[in-house]
Formats: sequence, structure tokens, C-alpha cells
Amino acid sequence: MAELSDIKNATIRAEVEEFVTRPEEIARNVALFTRAHERMQAIAAGIIDGDDDLVDKLTAEALKAGHEALEIMDDGLIAGMGVVGIKFRENFIFVPEVLACARAMKAGMGHIEPILSASGVDPIATVIMGTVKGDLHDIGKNLCIMMLRGSGFEVIDLGVDTSADAFIDAIETHGAPIIGMSALLTTTMPNMGKTIEAIIDAGLREQVLVMVGGAPVTQEFADDMGADGYGKDALACVSLAKQLIEAKRRNAPA
Amino acid sequence: MGTAPIKSMTSRQRVLAALRREPVDRTPVCNPTSVATVELMDLVDAHFPDANRNPVLMAKLAATGYTELGFDTIMPVFSIIQESSALGCKMQWEQKDNWPTVRMREPIWTDVDDIKVPKDFMKHPDIVCVLDAIKLLRREFGDEVAIVGKTMGPWTLGYHCFGVEPFLLLSLDDPGKTMLALERMKEITYLFGLAQIEAGADALTLPDHATGDLVSAEYYKRFLQDMHTEFAERFPAPLILHICGRTVDRMGYIADTGMAAFHFDSKNKPQESMETVHGKISLVGNINNPETLFSKGPEEVRAEVEANLAAGVQMVGPECAIPLQTPIENLTEISRTVRDWHHAHPHVH
Ligand code: B12
Ligand SMILES: [Zn+2]
Repeated sequence: MAELSDIKNATIRAEVEEFVTRPEEIARNVALFTRAHERMQAIAAGIIDGDDDLVDKLTAEALKAGHEALEIMDDGLIAGMGVVGIKFRENFIFVPEVLACARAMKAGMGHIEPILSASGVDPIATVIMGTVKGDLHDIGKNLCIMMLRGSGFEVIDLGVDTSADAFIDAIETHGAPIIGMSALLTTTMPNMGKTIEAIIDAGLREQVLVMVGGAPVTQEFADDMGADGYGKDALACVSLAKQLIEAKRRNAPA
Repeated sequence: MGTAPIKSMTSRQRVLAALRREPVDRTPVCNPTSVATVELMDLVDAHFPDANRNPVLMAKLAATGYTELGFDTIMPVFSIIQESSALGCKMQWEQKDNWPTVRMREPIWTDVDDIKVPKDFMKHPDIVCVLDAIKLLRREFGDEVAIVGKTMGPWTLGYHCFGVEPFLLLSLDDPGKTMLALERMKEITYLFGLAQIEAGADALTLPDHATGDLVSAEYYKRFLQDMHTEFAERFPAPLILHICGRTVDRMGYIADTGMAAFHFDSKNKPQESMETVHGKISLVGNINNPETLFSKGPEEVRAEVEANLAAGVQMVGPECAIPLQTPIENLTEISRTVRDWHHAHPHVH
């Protein structure tokens, strides 16, 4: 079995050693980074450092050297973002640092996206995200979006103060299988339930899965209002989206 | 703790004493952010959004904190956007059941050189409204109750005027420029704050959201500690710093600023917080809003109030602006519990 010390890139090795503490996450990261090409490790390290110029340069070089766009995305960009998400969840880094990592991710994706779309590689799924009506808190929602994008989802961001109608329009326009709603105010939390009702009234509930989150939201509240899932933080948002989409595909008639 | 019985105080005396960490007849109850609720709006027929823009309605709604809830302070500024509106930010005034906000996605400034205070800033209706409301309240209540004003700190003004994400990225990319931006924006904090003191405010709340949910404690130290110290020195009235969210990791720095008080959130334990600030600053708080005041009942409110009193927190109240749908009975329970507790503990001042 691969060991931490087998990771070639010194930055990655140190980052995983210092900041990743949950056994299953250590195992996953060690397996990933010992398997990943050294160039990919360097890209991931650039993401973790929030260095957009470096990621921009390394991504272009890796493509030139013949690496597949998908490999760069999965083993470089997404792998780096995974460590960033863990560091943020554990309070080792804060929002400004995460924003810088996301900017670096964007720099890398600038090279990757055109290739992926030209070659017809599909994103895992499209997710529609928005902060509900009356609420302008969007920092947490934006972090979720970064992590979703950083994990291979396509995200339509409806921004803040999103009406039920805007969610419905977006579901119809994009045919997205998942929507995510964020609320930070107790005064606006009920708007999640109202949006779900409006989706039911619009006859779209069957085709879309609903996830909710935001500091005051709880699993219980999510269940009460009939959401399909609740996520506590940005990493949970990503695993929830994956779980929901897998379940949906499994249950879909062949 | 004193042994000599303390003469009964007015609400105003009680609050001012607690801000100086002097003996009080009982712990004052206050909310340095906002006590507005929909129920209170209905009661006195002063509703959002008008109560944020019309001084008579603003004063009327604010007074309910004292007359209906039994708090020892009156806070007329329910939102955090009066000065941002006067600076020209895009506003969303909302309805009766929600707070007004700034559209931070459409920022008005992108660079330090954009920072300009409009000439008629102090004459803007949303500034004048607060000043007039304070004057009205002072006239009506005299020396009975403490009237607290509110002036936003430069960090939060940065969120409003630059947008949260651009401002936070700037802080990482160019700390020097960020400092300069804060230096310039702090003059806005002064202008509005001083005018409120002249209008009759006894103290000022100064919200400045450098919270552990967003930035590190190091950040607070690097960017804000000195500036907050300067505020404490320059303002001729006691200041109450408000930062909601996790802050215990920076309370030591906050305690050293010389501010009179810190309004803290329920994400921080009362006892641990008291130990961290070491008697260098008064603490105000920290009843949980969303889970307790909004969703639970008087019994749970009572338990949180008692935990604060037992820890020696100098002023008790909600952790931040209370949710607008909070039931009144949960709010009156705060003052009731404080009175009962002091009856049961007559020697604790
Ligand atoms: C920063 C902040 C602000 C900023 C917002 C900037 C912005 N563009 O977002 C400013 C200063 C402008 C602001 C304004 C106000 N705020 Co405010 N604010 C906060 C604060 C301090 C931090 C919120 C935050 O960004 N946290 C960091 C992020 C990363 O965490 P997060 O949002 O929870 O997101 C994570 C998870 O929840 C999850 N998640 C989030 N969304 C989703 C969605 C899905 C689908 C999933 C799966 C997961 C998920 O993943 C995220 C990443 O890990 C909180 C206090 C606190 N500690 O929560 C108060 C707080 C949210 N604010 C509060 C209040 C009262 C206000 C105001 C009304 C103040 C006033 N008097 O005017 C206004 C209202 C504005 C409005 N109408 O929306 C109260 C709300 C009380 C309540 N529950 O009703 C809080 C809780 C403070 C308190 N203790 O009372 N605020
Ligand atoms: Zn607050």
C-alpha cells in the first residue's frame, strides 16, 4: 500500500501530513497523489497555494507535454481543491485563502474547459445554486459552488435574493437534475420550503433533486420542508450532490 | 462583587456603569444590534422598511426595546446599511418582514482611489434619519434609559462598497492597499459616529465583521486591532464592538483595544470568553438567535441567560440583530430572568 512518504511533491506531502487528519481522507489523498503524475502534483500544490499565475503556467505546460485535459482536471485541479476544502473545514485557512485557491482553479480551468467541451466530455451533472429570496448572504453558497465546480459539476449560479420563479425558470432552461438553496437568515429559511412548493406546483418536483444548506439550516428542517438532502459545509455539499445524482441514475428506468 | 448594597439605578446609569465595569444594582439587559420584530412593528404601527427611513417611526419602533421588552438600552439603528446607502451603494429596502440590505454584487468601488465621501453625506436622508431619531428619543426619555447609536466599522464598509469577495481577495493580494482603504473608510465611521454622539447617543455600537467564520485571528490583529484602539481613544463615548460568529480566538486582541465592550455570539462560550478577555473589556451577549430566541421557548432562553449571568457577563442580550419573527415572550423572558436571578443572588453586582 502507498505511504505518505511515497508522495513525490514536497508541498503536497507536507500539506497532507499537516492538515489532513481523518483516516479515510488520508487514505484517499495518499492513494491519489502517489498515483498522480508529478506535473499533476505540482498543479495541485499551486491550487493549494492559491497561486493563479503558477497554475495557469503549469496547466498550459502539462497540456503541451501531452497530458489529457481530464487527467489535469482530476489529478491536478480537483485534487488540489480537495485539500483546500479540508483545510477550510478544519479552520486552517479562511475565506480569503479559499477565494485565492478558487481563482487559481479558474485559471487552470480556463485551459481545460474549451478542450473538454470541444471533445464532448460531460460534467458530472448540472447544479443550479442560489441564495433564497430576501437573503443576500452568499459567501458560503459561493464556496459550495467553487467546490462543486472544482469537483467536475457544472454550476448555474443564480446569485442572491433568488425568487422561486427564478429557480423554476432555471430548472426549465437548463434541465438540471439538482438545485441547491442557501439561506443564512431565519427570516428567509421558510423561502426554501416555499420554493419547493412552487416547484411542485410547476410540476417539476419529479425531475429535480433539492439540496439545502446555510448556517441556521438543519437536517430536521430540511426533512420538514421536503428537501432531498442537507449539507453542513462545502465538502458535504459536494458529496451530497454526488450521492443524489448516483441514486437518481441508479433508480432511473434503463 | 460588592458587599454594600447598591442604590437602585436607572437603566441609563446601569448600562454606563456596566460599560465601565463598575458595580451595578443588577446586570443590564441590552441588544447593541437590533430588537426590531414584526410583532413590535405591529404593536406600535411602525413597520419596515419605513422604520429604517423615517425618524419618527424609527424612534417609535426602537423605544419598544425599553417599553415593551424591558431592556435597558434603546437602539434605533436596526440595520447595518444607513451609511452605505448615503455613500451611494445599491440598496434593497425590502418589506416589513426582512432587513434592508446592500447589493454587494454591484459594488461602487474597485480601488482605494475610488473611496470618496459624498459632500452631502451627512445631509443624506438615511443619515439624518438616525440623528433625528436619536434626538427624538433623548427628548422623550431624558436620562432614564441608555440610547445607543451605531456606526459601521471600515471592514464591513469594505464588504458593502467593494463587495465581500473582491475586498477579501484584496486583503490577501495587497495588504498595504487594504490598510490604506481601511484608513480612508474609517473617516466614515467617525463622521457618522460623532454626529450620533452629538445628537445624544450615550454609546455606540461599532460592527466590524472580521469574524472567525471569514478571516483568521491574525487578520484581526494585522488589519484592525490598532484601528479599533484608535477608535476607542478618539470617540468621546463608550464603544461596543460587534462581531458575530466565532471570535474567541481573537477576543484577547479585542480586549486590548480599550473598547468599552464586545458584543459576542453564542458560538463562543460565556465562561471561556470571560476568561479570555481577562476583565479588560465588558462582554455583552450571547443568547443564540436562530436556535433559541427564534425557535425555542422561554425555558431555553432562561437557561442561556443564566449561563451568562453565572459567567459574570456584564450585559445580557441576544447575540446579534434578532430574527424579525422572534416571539415577544422569548425577549421579555431575558429581562425577567435577569431580575429573578439577581433576587436569588443579592450579593452579586
Ligand atoms: C458575513 C455575514 C454577513 C455579511 C454578508 C456578506 C455576504 N455577501 O454574504 C453582512 C455583513 C453584509 C451581513 C448582513 C446581515 N446579516 Co449577517 N452574518 C454574517 C456572518 C458573520 C457570517 C456568515 C458567513 O458568511 N459565514 C461563512 C460561510 C462560509 O459559512 P456559511 O454561510 O454557513 O456556509 C457554509 C455552510 O452553511 C454550507 N452551505 C451554505 N449554503 C449552502 C447551500 C447548500 C445547498 C449546501 C449543501 C450547503 C451550504 O457550506 C458553506 C461553506 O462551508 C453570520 C454569523 C455566522 N457566524 O454565521 C451573520 C448572520 C448570518 N447575519 C445575521 C444578520 C441578522 C444579518 C443582518 C440582518 C444584519 C442587520 N441587522 O442588518 C444583515 C442581513 C442581510 C440580508 N438580508 O441577507 C444573523 C442571522 C440571524 C438569523 N439566523 O436570522 C447571523 C447568523 C449573525 C447572528 N449570530 O445572529 N451578514
Ligand atoms: Zn451580527
